[in-house]
Amino acid sequence: MSAAIVLLTLAERAAASLEVGIWGTAAWLAVAIVAAIGSMSLLGMALVLIERKVAARFQSRLGPMRVGPHGLFQTVADSIKLLIKEDIIPEQADRILFFLAPTFSLIATLLALVIVPVSPTLHLVDLNIGVVFFAAVSGFGVLGILLGGWSSNNKWSLLGAMRAGAQFISYELSLTLCLIVAVLFAGSLQLSEVVASQADGWWIWRGHVVTIVAFVVFIIASTAELNRPPFDLPEAESELTGGFHTEFSGLRFAFFFLAEFINMFVASALAATLFLGGWMPFQVGGWDTFNSVMAIIPGPIWFAGKVAVIIFISMWVRWTFPRLRVDQLMRLEWKFLLPIGIANVLIAAVIILSGLYFFPVGN
Amino acid sequence: MTTADWTVTLIFYLLGGIALIASIVAVASKRILRAAVGLAVTLACTAGFYVLLGYDFLAGVQLLVYVGGIVVLIVYAIMLTSSMEYFETRSPTQRRIIGAIVAAIFLVVTVAAFRASEFTVTAMTVPPSDIAAGVGRLLLDQSGAGYLLPFEVISLLLLASVLGGVVIARSPKAAAADASPDIHAPHGTQVEETS
Repeated sequence: MSAAIVLLTLAERAAASLEVGIWGTAAWLAVAIVAAIGSMSLLGMALVLIERKVAARFQSRLGPMRVGPHGLFQTVADSIKLLIKEDIIPEQADRILFFLAPTFSLIATLLALVIVPVSPTLHLVDLNIGVVFFAAVSGFGVLGILLGGWSSNNKWSLLGAMRAGAQFISYELSLTLCLIVAVLFAGSLQLSEVVASQADGWWIWRGHVVTIVAFVVFIIASTAELNRPPFDLPEAESELTGGFHTEFSGLRFAFFFLAEFINMFVASALAATLFLGGWMPFQVGGWDTFNSVMAIIPGPIWFAGKVAVIIFISMWVRWTFPRLRVDQLMRLEWKFLLPIGIANVLIAAVIILSGLYFFPVGN
Repeated sequence: MTTADWTVTLIFYLLGGIALIASIVAVASKRILRAAVGLAVTLACTAGFYVLLGYDFLAGVQLLVYVGGIVVLIVYAIMLTSSMEYFETRSPTQRRIIGAIVAAIFLVVTVAAFRASEFTVTAMTVPPSDIAAGVGRLLLDQSGAGYLLPFEVISLLLLASVLGGVVIARSPKAAAADASPDIHAPHGTQVEETS
């Protein structure tokens, strides 16, 4: 499958750089896969804990406090509980699809995660079609949700999956239009070049209002695609008892959950890369002392800081706004975000053709 | 062969095997959603072949359009239509026999055509690193070699099929009301029209 794209790139790189024979390549691949899965689980557990702590803050309570200092190991305990839970498959379920659905979700997430540029060296796969690849693999994720809802043979699951599908198909348009704006400004689909193009200033400052609008629309559309509140209609607890993952338990449920949280990280990381300069430090033209001080801070810390801010905003939104109705959801996309997105792309093209950047390139 | 060649060969046969199994599932599965998944896997494997050939952009577009777009729409359409028809009924024997014969003839003709023709390598070019830009320039080329007109014609075709779908999906009652507006229209609208 398309995991082969990533595997091939990894294998090629390993073979080219090491020349250690086919078993060496296989070993390198195995290490890379284990590292990717391990970091993914750690990241997922950390994000769940942060989400619960932030939620507790917003609701004036403490959140998990018992396991470890300030509940630091709460999600570790929860993960172990999930892993050893009984794996229940509904009697009338389509077993093959029931098995495939969470796997699809997780594979899509893993594929999207490997292209995230954390720093010049910490960049697992630098595809020359990075942005297109991100848009492409997100389709696998929604396929997993649709199949999960169908194969459970449960009306709540099916309704949740249908809502997820409708939401994804709608908001994918706005998301892609925002990606196009970013690509137009950066002039490349390769994420490392997108970051490099922001050495003199992040696109969110340099692109007039256009990139700010694109950034905001990107955050809204990605929140909707990730099924996070206030767009969590596919899993609305009060209506659908959990939506598409109602029937999933144990490890399979953990797969869906992990995929959702890692997807939040990937979307935030992509927003940071495309609009906030990735691992580039904050620079102001002419302020040489300030710039050199900022450049001391290493790239990964800049990247992590930007991603953390976006994730915090996402959680802030989640615990502040009530859930939208289906008609409100559709009206927001088709009557507001989509026209704004199309106009935004046109204005971006005019700005780029006339070279009207703020902080012009190469000053 | 070097390690890289070995890896590529291995991945090629791996992809080919998965594509073969998935395409058989796509045509032979009795459960229509499993067939859709088979189709998705087959299309994803095709994207893998494009990567092997060095055309990453085409692979990305293949995934984006077919897996992320078409298959999701197919699955969505299956879920929207009556879920009672979960199993496809067995097709009549006569049709199965005809299908088998046609498939066999097609196989023979294809294999014969491939064996008869000689595929000469005209140039061993390394694909450029900026395929996306190249595709864009070729698509919008205005000197006559571009593909802008075919692209627009295809969009027209898609628009026509969308309209056709809407017409077919419309309920007969609504269509009848549209065809003869003065019979079914409320009095208020008629007054507005005449005034």
